[in-house]
Amino acid sequence: MQFFGGSDISPSPPVTTGSGDNGHMMYIFNRNGVCLLYREWNRPLKTLDAQQDHKLMFGLLFSLKSFTAKMDPTSVEKGNLGVPQLPGQGCSFHSFRTNTYKLSFMESPSGIKIILVTSPKTGDLRESLKYIYNLYVEYVVKNPLYTPGTPISCELFNTTVDQYVKNLA
Amino acid sequence: MIGVGKLKQYTNVLEKPLSKGKQEVSLSAFAFLFSELVQYNQTQVDNISELERRLEDAGYAVGARVLELLCHREKGNRRETRLLGILSFVHSTVWKVLFGKVADSLEKGTEHEDEYMISEKEPLVNRFISIPKDMGTFNCGAFVAGIVRGVLDNAGFPAVVTAHFVPVEGQQRPRTTILIKFAEEVLRREARLG
Amino acid sequence: MDGAAIYSLFIINKSGGLIFYKDYGSTGRMDTNDSLRLASLWHSMHAISQQLSPTVGCSGVELLQADTFDLHCFQSLTGTKFFVVCEPGTQRMEALLKFIYELFADYVLKNPFYEMEMPIRCELFDLNLLQAVQKDRVASLSR
Repeated sequence: MQFFGGSDISPSPPVTTGSGDNGHMMYIFNRNGVCLLYREWNRPLKTLDAQQDHKLMFGLLFSLKSFTAKMDPTSVEKGNLGVPQLPGQGCSFHSFRTNTYKLSFMESPSGIKIILVTSPKTGDLRESLKYIYNLYVEYVVKNPLYTPGTPISCELFNTTVDQYVKNLA
Repeated sequence: MIGVGKLKQYTNVLEKPLSKGKQEVSLSAFAFLFSELVQYNQTQVDNISELERRLEDAGYAVGARVLELLCHREKGNRRETRLLGILSFVHSTVWKVLFGKVADSLEKGTEHEDEYMISEKEPLVNRFISIPKDMGTFNCGAFVAGIVRGVLDNAGFPAVVTAHFVPVEGQQRPRTTILIKFAEEVLRREARLG
Repeated sequence: MDGAAIYSLFIINKSGGLIFYKDYGSTGRMDTNDSLRLASLWHSMHAISQQLSPTVGCSGVELLQADTFDLHCFQSLTGTKFFVVCEPGTQRMEALLKFIYELFADYVLKNPFYEMEMPIRCELFDLNLLQAVQKDRVASLSR
């Protein structure tokens, strides 16, 4: 019997040349807005408690998505503002930048949202998010002890993600 | 500025030459001040012609003072006594001191003997002003018209002075024309002088 | 530089009200209601993005990269927000926004007939804005 793709995470991670302290935090939400994972590497400023912080983040993503779907200057049919969009439906966004941080966003077809907050100078992280999604599939979804929709507590996943984000450019 | 250049020390203040003053004023500062002047007057009036009159009055005071100052500074305490003389004095000397340039044109009215026009493509006072549609033909140049009236009146040339927008062919923006209609006595005197 | 790369311009007052909106050729035009709601939505998202900052001193979103457009936002010290929606990757939008802010300061704020925080209806602002957005002008903005 042969196994394919068992030991390697595919695709292989994008080349990283980071200095090690670009990552601030990461969120993973499922489609119902449950925060499956929150990792924090460098966050000197905390204004809210964890639960409210997650709620605010999910709310912002939801609003931003309906905003971009409505704003989309290339399509005629934009639907109504505020009506929830299915994953992959309508114009979405992949990042925004402020003077203090950059937020990169990815949504999988199943509605898993991965959010990475890094330093504002970080480049395009779309490939990196895809890679993190792959890690999620490999280490979380394929873990028989994991119940979908519950907070992730897979040691292997956490350490791999930590390691990977540390080296992000 | 004190201590700049070779400023001679005068013991007696009367021996000091009359300074020309600093010739430049911040355009923004002027624009904001003028804007406030218009806004304040707007709160004091019920209709547009009233507003026009108030702006003109404000300008009149400026004109009267400018005449006094310029006769002293530029003309050796003499003033123009002839019609064309005073008009070109307004068109060049006054304009230059107030707006940093001579006016774009000075013309004689074609229909009436007693009418003259000073035209300006973009008067300084109107540089940043867009007139709302509901105000019709109102022109903030009324202030400039008031200045002109102030100069003329105090020099002994009473006149009615008004500001108008005049569309120019091939231009998006109309120019502003200051229309000067001299009083009858002025023309009579002018005729007498030959 | 392609002038058609700019889709639209919004100006939002400090309480989130839309005071200026101009479309430069989006597909499927928005009606007034939609543009008003988008403006106030952007206003609140801009504020939330400051709360979520991991470090102090965040002044809100400057660039949003969506699938089909980029949105560049500039907020003045007094809280007025300007944003342009343009084709992804359009360059020099920061300079354009700064220039639009200058036009706003000149032709709107110095106009005695403009009421603060109210919708902008100033002929001179429209005229100068049009010139700034036209394609040959965008290139000359990098002064």
